[in-house]
Amino acid sequence: MLFNSLQFLIFLPIVYVLYWFVFKKNLKYQNILVIIASYVFYGWWDWRFLFLILFSTILDFYLGQKIYKDRDNTKRARYWLWLSVFFNIGLLGFFKYYNFFVDSFIEMFLAMGYEMKSTWTLRIILPVGISFYTFQTMSYSFDIYYKKLKPTKDFAAFAAFVAFFPQLVAGPIERASNLLSQITTKRYFKYNQATDGLKLILWGFFKKLVIADSLAPIVDDIFANYGTYPASTLILGVCLFSFQLYGDFSGYSDIAIGTSKLFGIELLSNFRFPYFSRNIAEFWKRWHISLSNWFKYYLYIPLGGSKGSRLKSMRNVVIIFLVSGLWHGANWTFVFWGAVHSLMYIPVFLLNSNRKYLNTSIAENSLFPSLKEIVQVLITFLLVTFSYIFFRSLTITEAFNYISQITTDFRYEAYSHPMGYRMVDYYILIAIFIIYEYIIRKDERRPFNFKNPVVRFLIYALIIMSTLLFYDDGVNRSFIYFQF
Amino acid sequence: MKKLILKSIVYVFLILLFIEASIRLFHLYTEDPPRFIDDLGVEKRVPGHTGYAVTGNRNQNYSKFNINKSGFNSYREYTPTANKFEIAIVGDSFIEGFHQDYFDSTGKKIENLIPNSEVYEYGYSGYDFANQMHLIDAYKNDFDLIDEIVIYLNYKDDLDRGIYEPNHDRIKMLSSTPFKIRDNIKILAYGLKIGIFEPLQKLISGKKSNEPKKIKENKEQEAIDLQKQKVKDLELLENFKSLIKQYGFDKSKTSLLLDSSKTSELFLDFCSDNNIDIIDFHKNFEDSKTSPTLIYDEHWNNHGRDIIAKTISDYIKAKRD
Repeated sequence: MLFNSLQFLIFLPIVYVLYWFVFKKNLKYQNILVIIASYVFYGWWDWRFLFLILFSTILDFYLGQKIYKDRDNTKRARYWLWLSVFFNIGLLGFFKYYNFFVDSFIEMFLAMGYEMKSTWTLRIILPVGISFYTFQTMSYSFDIYYKKLKPTKDFAAFAAFVAFFPQLVAGPIERASNLLSQITTKRYFKYNQATDGLKLILWGFFKKLVIADSLAPIVDDIFANYGTYPASTLILGVCLFSFQLYGDFSGYSDIAIGTSKLFGIELLSNFRFPYFSRNIAEFWKRWHISLSNWFKYYLYIPLGGSKGSRLKSMRNVVIIFLVSGLWHGANWTFVFWGAVHSLMYIPVFLLNSNRKYLNTSIAENSLFPSLKEIVQVLITFLLVTFSYIFFRSLTITEAFNYISQITTDFRYEAYSHPMGYRMVDYYILIAIFIIYEYIIRKDERRPFNFKNPVVRFLIYALIIMSTLLFYDDGVNRSFIYFQF
Repeated sequence: MKKLILKSIVYVFLILLFIEASIRLFHLYTEDPPRFIDDLGVEKRVPGHTGYAVTGNRNQNYSKFNINKSGFNSYREYTPTANKFEIAIVGDSFIEGFHQDYFDSTGKKIENLIPNSEVYEYGYSGYDFANQMHLIDAYKNDFDLIDEIVIYLNYKDDLDRGIYEPNHDRIKMLSSTPFKIRDNIKILAYGLKIGIFEPLQKLISGKKSNEPKKIKENKEQEAIDLQKQKVKDLELLENFKSLIKQYGFDKSKTSLLLDSSKTSELFLDFCSDNNIDIIDFHKNFEDSKTSPTLIYDEHWNNHGRDIIAKTISDYIKAKRD
């Protein structure tokens, strides 16, 4: 079920009413309702893959107990942990990466002169959200292993934690210490939390339906026909993709966080205005935060983090980015995208600037950013945007051809929308979006934090109006990150 | 909780009001002048209406219409006499031309190309060949005075029936209360136009989007399709024959405007064998360097109308010479 579907519009109020009016007094029943609702939500896409979620849930529930029981016997605890990792990564590996690795081996042998037939590849459907919920369940086992969490004995609560529908298919990837503790505690309806949730949902829908969906046909057209366009159009295409991707994914996260608030549960922020970052390190503190944190806690730190030699630290950075790239999809383009980011990150790391902007935002104590900040933000945005050529292209060759076309056909030509809409509408839309995000840059969880109720009302009305103005019934409305 | 529900209802109501006002203020909705069936059984627009037809979410196409005393969208009144040189173009929405300003229509372009001529555009959305033949017959006195009649024939859609029956049900439906509500609440008219209610309509009708169709093997399917098309072509030709037999067809001044690439060989051969003049705009469209149709739909854009006007005027000029 998609957030931006009519089915969800019907589904959400039903679950909400049952949650707060029927099962309000009994936490266990509330959690069972969350499980049923989550399974309906997921099963709407393909009910067969519910068994995978159930398998992952039972496995990690059981292994969590085992790890905790053997917490003083490091060897045995590690054995149970590796079992959890083995099964979860195994599921992910089979459904997401099996064909990729088989094809890659075949291509590798072909390059060496050995021709192999592709008899090993299978017709596998990628279960939606598998990368998200397997990582979430693994975090539970890791946290118990690292003695940061006690396993729950309440299976219903654990199942609700794994399958919690607002964040099941595309995150934020929650740590058990945050989400599970809320699921095991009685929730109370809070007016402010509910209105904050509704506001975040509205803002998320704006980002998804107006920004991402309206830019999608332009980006698709430019990337599909890059060979026929001059540099100006190709640069435009990848810049617009930056906003499409951000609108799509952060929009999803906002809807997820907002929906969750409606049920009295606080999810962690996943985006913090990443395009206002002043260097790549800050970008990664603001972009897909839950995944970055996951890799930081469960891969980077266990590898040694930045505690060893410079060389070892750099190795760890490269590993994190390559794995993060591969996490996104079974395609070398994503690995390359990760590699590009690691190359951009290492100089910042070597200059010790990776922690420079940890707790501040652009124009922290002033109305306008300084010239230096503007230049920094522009450079970071351009670097990130450049990397998206690899992220968006279907193959590495295509990505390099795209770049080559920019350099060889370096000229300006006005671009016409494939459906004949005025392009200026989109430029104005993006400009307003950037300005608005700048205004609200200090609090990603309160996009309408204005004291004047008339101003707030006008913003709500304009957002809904713009959804109508940019609505396109021909657009594929699924979320980009669903494929990951 | 009560506060949340009450406040949400108030906000939704106020936002709907705001949107309704915005749609009216920026004229984002499209107008559809009322229709009726006159005493002679001809379906047309109620005379005297002016307004704007709008395409797209953000007024991508915004054009003025003017329904004349005869009930058709035109810059002029139709007053045929024996002294003037008059041309009638009869057709559907392509001729009615709500996607263009009424003062820049195909007819106006023809008048610019043929000096001292008057062009009468009998266009109405949904007209098929039966409507067109009935109209010419019903207004026989006028059409007797008109020098040239060009009938725009969209072969695939316009020959589905061999007998004319006025569509009272459609007129009744369009003047029913739900349609009146739709026309008066602009947010509804706008929402319907941009397809915002389509998911709801699909849900109600139980249709799934992108539902895969079971298609037979290509060759087998092609053979079946070809056979079906042959039967269909015969049926369409029979309808054409039936209508021209019933209403008559003045070959000396009547011609068919069509795209030969979208018309069956069978039909074209029949016209050729029976000396029915055809004004074929296929080649001119094909040779055009820019698209002759709108991006949002298949109607002719300004360039397309230029081509059509030129094609018709060239034909008439050649005929007069």
